[in-house]
This record gives sequence, C-alpha cells and structure tokens, in this order.
Amino acid sequence: MPYSLIWLPSVLERAGLKVAVTPGWEDRGHGDVGRIFGVICHHTATQARGNYPSMNTIIHGRADLPGPLSQLGLGRDGTFYVIAAGRSYHAGKGIWQGLVNGNSNFIGIEAENTGGSNDFPWPEVQMLAYQRGVAAILKHIGQPAIFCAGHREYALPKGRKPDPSFDMIEFRQKVQAIMDNGAPAVLIPAVETATAPGQTKPRPTLRRGGTMNTAEAVSFVQKQLKIDVDGDFGAKTEEAMRTFQISIGLVPDGIVGPKTWAALDKI
Amino acid sequence: MFGSVILDVAIGIIFIFILISIICSAIREGIEGLLKTRAAYLEHGIRELLHDKEGVKLASAFYTNPNIYGLFASDYKPLVQGNKLTMLKMGRSLPSYIPSRNFALAIMDIAARGPVTDEVSSDPASPIISLENMRANVANLGNPHVQRILLTAIDTAQGDLNLVQQNLEKWYESGMDRVSGWYKRSTQGIIFFIGLFAAILLNINTITIASYLSQNQTARELLVFNAEKMIEEEKEAKKLDPAAGNLDPSYKSYEVARNKLDNLSLPIGWKAGYGMATTAEDNLKGERYNATWYWNYVFGPPLGWLITAVAVMLGAPFWFDLLNKVMVIRSTVKPHEKSKEEASEDRQPPVALQAPLTTQVTLRPPAPPNEVQPPIAISSSPAVPGAAAEPRDESTDIDGCDVEIKDTTPDDELPEAKGGVA
Repeated sequence: MPYSLIWLPSVLERAGLKVAVTPGWEDRGHGDVGRIFGVICHHTATQARGNYPSMNTIIHGRADLPGPLSQLGLGRDGTFYVIAAGRSYHAGKGIWQGLVNGNSNFIGIEAENTGGSNDFPWPEVQMLAYQRGVAAILKHIGQPAIFCAGHREYALPKGRKPDPSFDMIEFRQKVQAIMDNGAPAVLIPAVETATAPGQTKPRPTLRRGGTMNTAEAVSFVQKQLKIDVDGDFGAKTEEAMRTFQISIGLVPDGIVGPKTWAALDKI
Repeated sequence: MFGSVILDVAIGIIFIFILISIICSAIREGIEGLLKTRAAYLEHGIRELLHDKEGVKLASAFYTNPNIYGLFASDYKPLVQGNKLTMLKMGRSLPSYIPSRNFALAIMDIAARGPVTDEVSSDPASPIISLENMRANVANLGNPHVQRILLTAIDTAQGDLNLVQQNLEKWYESGMDRVSGWYKRSTQGIIFFIGLFAAILLNINTITIASYLSQNQTARELLVFNAEKMIEEEKEAKKLDPAAGNLDPSYKSYEVARNKLDNLSLPIGWKAGYGMATTAEDNLKGERYNATWYWNYVFGPPLGWLITAVAVMLGAPFWFDLLNKVMVIRSTVKPHEKSKEEASEDRQPPVALQAPLTTQVTLRPPAPPNEVQPPIAISSSPAVPGAAAEPRDESTDIDGCDVEIKDTTPDDELPEAKGGVA
C-alpha cells in the first residue's frame, strides 16, 4: 500500500522541476510518516562524481542500516529523485521549532554534494532546484520557510552534523521569496528558439524517454557523440550526453536543448 | 481502682494489648526495613495507576524520569511479579514514598518532552511545559488511559498550569490510598503472625491474664494506674505538640514497652509451665478449671494465644482509642468531652482527595470577556512552535545521513526524469 507522501513527484513536477521516480518508491519506507511539518536539507558527502551516485545507498541503506535514508534525492543537474513515500532514516536526534520527531515529521532531501571545498559553491542549477523544491513542498503542506531546517541546525548535540554546506539563512530567505512571489519556472524550451543553419525548422528538445524524440534526430546526436547509433534515446545515450555536456561546460542534465544542439553542431 | 472489676480488668487487658502491639509493630518495622515491602506496593500501585502492568513503558519512563530517579538508588527494573502482591514482597531499592508533586511534575514533563532523557529533551529548545504543548504532545505518554487523564486534567484546569499539577496530584493521591490499603492489610497479616509467634514464645495467654486480674486486686490497680498514667502523659505530650500522634513516643519504643511489660509481673512466660492455672490464686480456686484437663492443656492455651494474636493485629492505635473510651465510661468526666474523636494517626479522616473538580472550576472568577482564556486546543495553523504531531519514537534517533556511500550509482542506472521542459 502506498505511503502518504505520494504527492511528492506531482508537486515537484508542477513547480517546473525535473523529477525522476525510483522503482517501488510508493511502497518504500520504514512505516508511514507522521504529520509532515517541514523539510530537513542534507547533502550526501559522497566523493564519487556523477549526477546522483548516492542513489543506491539512499534506497537500500547499508548492511547495518536498511534504507530508505531519505524521501528525496537531488542530483547535481537539479533532478529530484523520489526515493520513498514513507518514513526514512535521515534526521536522528535533534530539535527544530520544538519538533523532535525528525524522521516522522520532516521530509529529508539528500542533495548530491561532496560537502567539501571541491564541490563549493554548489552548481547553480542544483541550488535553484533545491530552493524551488523546498518551496513547493512547504507550500503544499502550508508551512512557512522557517520549517525548512538544515540537518546541522536540527541535529543534537550541536556539531553532530555538518550538512548541508551552504548558508541556511540565505537559503530560507530565497525559499520564502519563491513562496511569496512565486518564481517563473526556468524551463528548457521545447524547441530551438531559431532555425539552425542547414535545418528546415527549429529542432525539438530531446531527452531520454522524451515524447518529441525522433529516430532521425536521436541518431544524429548519437553519431555526434560517437556512440552506438540505434535511434533510441536510452540510459546510455543520456550518460554519454551528460559526459559531453560536462566537457563543454553545460548543465549535465542529458537533455538536448537549444544550447546542446548548438554545441553538437560545432563538433 | 474503685469502679467495677470488669471495667478494670478490661482496662488492664487493653493496656497489655497496647504494650504487646507496640512490641510487635516494632518487629514489623524491622522486617519492613529489610524487605521494603512498601516500595514494592508503591511500585505496583504506580503501575496500576499508569495502566502499565508490565512496567516496561510508561511506568519505566516514570521511574527513570529525573524527578523520580533521584528518590532511589540504582536503576529501575520492574519487579517480576505479574499482578501478584504477597505479604513479604521485596521492594529492593525502589522508593517507599513518592511525593505527589514529583509525580505530577514527572507526568507533565514526560507529556511535554517525551519519555527519554537525552540531548533532545534537555535542550533549551525542547518544548516548554505548557497546556498547549502537553496537549499537542500528549501521545508522548504512549498510554491512552493516562493520556485521557491528562487531557481531563488540562481541560478542567481552565488554562491554569498549577491547577493541572494539582489535578494530577489528586489523581495520584487517590491511587495512593489504594496502596496504603494494600499495605495496611499486608501489615495486619504479618503482625498477626508476629503476635501469634510472640504469644506462644512468651506464653501470653489472654484468658490466663484476665482470670489473674479478676482475682488479683493489686495487679489490677497497678495496671489501671499505669493506663491512666499513659493517657495523662499522652495528653501532656499533645499539649506540647498538638500535631503529634496519639501515642506518646516514649511508649512507641520497643524497649520501653518491653520493660513496662516485664515490670508488671503478669502471669506470662513459661516459668509456671504449660497449662492454664499458673498462679497461686488460680491454684487456690483451681477447681473451676482443673476439673477439665482438656481445657487446661488442650484448648485453653491455644485459644488464649489466638486471642492475643488477633488483638495485636488490631494495632496499638486501636487499643489506645478503646482505652480512652473505656476510661471515659469509667471516670466521671462527661463522655463527649473526652471521647471527642481523638482519632489516631491511622484513623485520621482521609484528606479530601477527590475534591470535586467542579468546585474549583466555579471558584475561579469568570474571566472578563476581553481576557480570553488561552486557547487550549491546538490551533489549526501548524506553525505552532513546539507542536509535535507525535512523540519521538526510537527509530527517529536513527540517522542514516552519515552513511558512507560505497555502492555508487553510475549515471546510466539513474531513473528516467520528467518535467523541466516547457
């Protein structure tokens, strides 16, 4: 039976965020959550590179501690990975706003970051998605921004936790601003803004599993990336695309939008 | 001295009963000091009161709460007893008494901050003990019965935290009345056996003593004199210290009572051997008893001891009250002057434990309209600071955030994303 946080993907997607659900997320959890009062922000402190290398561990935990270890994950490209709709072990001992039952009363978001100087400041796209996601969740549960806590603020005894490695006060101000004023979603255009030279019309944005993918366009992309050409935008193509995007300094989201199209043309 | 022989014999017998009762009570106190039965009864009472028969949840949290923990040595372990209380139950190191204030504070503390004492419940930011927080966090008690009691206490307090505390104290005291009852019964049982043992060991045979007194005027007068002296001394002591109990402390000590008993030269002890007729007087008028050997040697002595034991079971305060009353009958003093309920400690009318709550409520002047009672109900706005939706459970202390990621997920294993594209 699905647990009560089944609203997470739809709320995040409505906020214009990239959302990926992990298989079985609806039924995942250490029992159901209690009444949700807010969000606790974490970072994974995983040293590995990649968009969200911590996913398997967050889902399954480790030998002595079963997963899920948080409800949501946040990839470096700003994609929210929905891990669990139930209770997860993310908070531990602590207090925030008089609330002490962290695992039951707070949604945990584990954002991918090494937590060290090699990953600071955070990628802009990830930080924006973090703020928007938290704002969307708090708005949905009808709570003000103060109910968004950093794990290091929540955890007791003080100093038990270092995450997340950004300024929570500023973060809450941004979240509050998004909640108050709304913020136009920063979306990737569905098609190119202008017709590129040598094309008859603006090319649509391609992505893994995208509805506008055509075999012809995907084959072109695969040829440019020098990978097996099969006209199907799958996980391998997405991975290669992320690598390519990193190499030219674009957001490594694996989505072929206008900027990526332009970069592909130059190869 | 001058009154009827029967009354004087009664007074003498009562006086002897008082002395033996004091001796037996002292022995019982000694046994209690070793076993601490009262602590076991209190623990059982607390478990019943808190509806935690196994003593593993709320009762355990209660005993480990710092408000209570300081009252006894070592750690709390529920006494393995199921629901059985025996006369000689060992109380180990548990407290024999818990002040009602400590009880109320512990319950309120647990309700507001949770049962566990750790960094969280001792943090300055932990929930304040207020009506709102107790109501919102009442599930911390983890016990529907006690939660309901606390909610009732909060609601009838009309926004006054002190009244909540008083309500809880009264609830506790009403429960403690039962504990006192159990304990009293156990004490009576034990004292009966002590009395029987003492009666046989010292051959204190009430029937023999009564017949001896009825025939020996000197002994009778001596006893009545002593009894009067005791009452006088008691009165003097009362004058000095009106709050003191009914029996002069000097009579309460084992040695004093023992010496007095020895000095009365009564027909007790085994010097005269087994049997009923043990005094010269008896021997002179012996035909009455001697005619029946089975009375003298079979039924008489056990019956006499049994009477002594039962009398001792009733306790010194009872006999002292009775002595007062008999003295009133005997003397010329107006009855009501002396027999005004000089109730003994044990028989004090119980303090109005169940003071009607309604009285309290109505005693409070109605609040002026602009001074609205603080709303007790948790406001629908969830932004109430300190309003926890549910108590901390054990698994909330689990923190997987520091898990070292070994099983890394390559990008091509990530699930497919949606959204973010116009």
